[in-house]
Amino acid sequence: MRALTYEGPYRVGVKDKPDPRIEHPQDAILRVTCAAICGSDLHLLHGLVPDTRIGSTFGHEIVGVVEEVGPEANGIRPGDRLLVPFNIACGACWFCERGLTACCENSNPSSDVACGVFGYSHTTGGYDGGQAEYVRVPFAAVGPERIPDDVDDLDAVTLTDALPTGYQGAEMCDLHGGETVVVFGAGPVGLFAMKSAWLMGAGRVIAVDRVGYRLDFARRWAGAETLDFDTVDVVTAVKDATGGRGADASIDAVGCEAAGSPMQRAVGVLGKAVAGSSVALNWCFHVTRKGGTVSVLGVYGPPFNLVDFGTAMNKCQTIRTGQCSVKRYLPRLLEHVREGRLDPKALITHRYPLEQAPHAYHQFAQKRDGCIKAVLLPHGATLH
Amino acid sequence: MDERTSATPPAIAEQGGIGQYKGRDLDPARRPGVPRLHAPERLQGARWPIERQRSDVTVFMHGRPHKTFPPVFGTAEPPHGISGLIRRAAYAYPDHAMRHWSLLLFADRVDAWGYRARRLLPWLAPVVALGALAYGAASRVGPWRGRWTGSRAARFARRAAFD
Repeated sequence: MRALTYEGPYRVGVKDKPDPRIEHPQDAILRVTCAAICGSDLHLLHGLVPDTRIGSTFGHEIVGVVEEVGPEANGIRPGDRLLVPFNIACGACWFCERGLTACCENSNPSSDVACGVFGYSHTTGGYDGGQAEYVRVPFAAVGPERIPDDVDDLDAVTLTDALPTGYQGAEMCDLHGGETVVVFGAGPVGLFAMKSAWLMGAGRVIAVDRVGYRLDFARRWAGAETLDFDTVDVVTAVKDATGGRGADASIDAVGCEAAGSPMQRAVGVLGKAVAGSSVALNWCFHVTRKGGTVSVLGVYGPPFNLVDFGTAMNKCQTIRTGQCSVKRYLPRLLEHVREGRLDPKALITHRYPLEQAPHAYHQFAQKRDGCIKAVLLPHGATLH
Repeated sequence: MDERTSATPPAIAEQGGIGQYKGRDLDPARRPGVPRLHAPERLQGARWPIERQRSDVTVFMHGRPHKTFPPVFGTAEPPHGISGLIRRAAYAYPDHAMRHWSLLLFADRVDAWGYRARRLLPWLAPVVALGALAYGAASRVGPWRGRWTGSRAARFARRAAFD
């Protein structure tokens, strides 16, 4: 089959690889119809995630049709159209039983910091991702969800990661109505976090980024106030806007590749001496009021960062973090999508055949051509 | 501040609600992740006990005590070469040891350098061979005869190689 392959920092290609096969009785093989490129794939692309091996296939936002089913994957059949949460979860361990499928303890031998994730280095289990014609899906009857006929692939693919992650980010802010929420990063996850903050009763939503077209989109689509951190001092501007006290909650939807500090960029992103740049997280601590909440969705690598933790501690802030346990959010979010309250495919600005994946990564990483979210269609136009 | 919009967008406001804070999921009971840990309940489609995956591929487990090898794992890119040896050393240490992550990042760099060298080899080998031939020929015939072979650098290289 054809698959995207990692060729070292800043380089991906598309090559022939052996077809995936059933390796465990609960596996299924999926024919991928739509695979999105996530902002966190850029951390892999830039060599910031440990144990990303040459030849790996990325892609953890996957929609496809079941091709082959293992003998113990009861409940799914060849031909079923599935959306696949990025977490690989057994459904029966201590964490899965309590709703934290993102903490499953039966899918990752390589680390305690995360469960298995599709196409996200050997640190998260060494699974190949879905930016390919076919993909192996472990525990196929547990995590993946059948897609209702009235939901198309482009809406469904956002439900595999970006939309639930944004929603969880807003949920972790513990909003009760009327709060001011600052969202760092107007990429797909940040935009979904803004919409979700409104859903949960936010009084004001402020978006921070420096990419003009994304700030425009945040204003139009998510109804947010916007701040360009290249032109204003973000912390001062938020304090000005909140009577000097600071925002009630902030959401870091950026992670380890944040711009805004030349020193952090040089040491973390370019030099790779620490796990990327923590500028967005540090700004979260500073813009949030004392006793407020900082919700962290941005992906940070496991080694240490230059985090301004003393500020958070002294300001008595609550910090909530976590990979999204996608499975538990799917029923509610599918309902929002089907009833028109959320229109996630509005974010998908670019579609590419698999062979153009390197170009797609380049456009997405460089924020070219108004790209907000790009998807790959390994079998041409979607089948549904 | 570029622009100010502080009303809940109409599509996500609660139907029939008035006021700007009436989001559809304002009530925490409507939020799927509240409470964060709910009462234990096995997910639909889950099976217990989980049969163990069998594989001939080398898969490392990190060095944390009190953890058994999980029943399901990925077999995407088996370790190989020098980077594989470094990864093996890295996985002797647990997650909380800085060495574990530093060695893995170093192995990634070695893997990438090895890959680049393998890609360049078909181009580089003929260039190096041609260069050596040209050097040999130029040092024996023509106007530059003996010029490099008798130079201080060439004498140093010969001594280093043969003495």
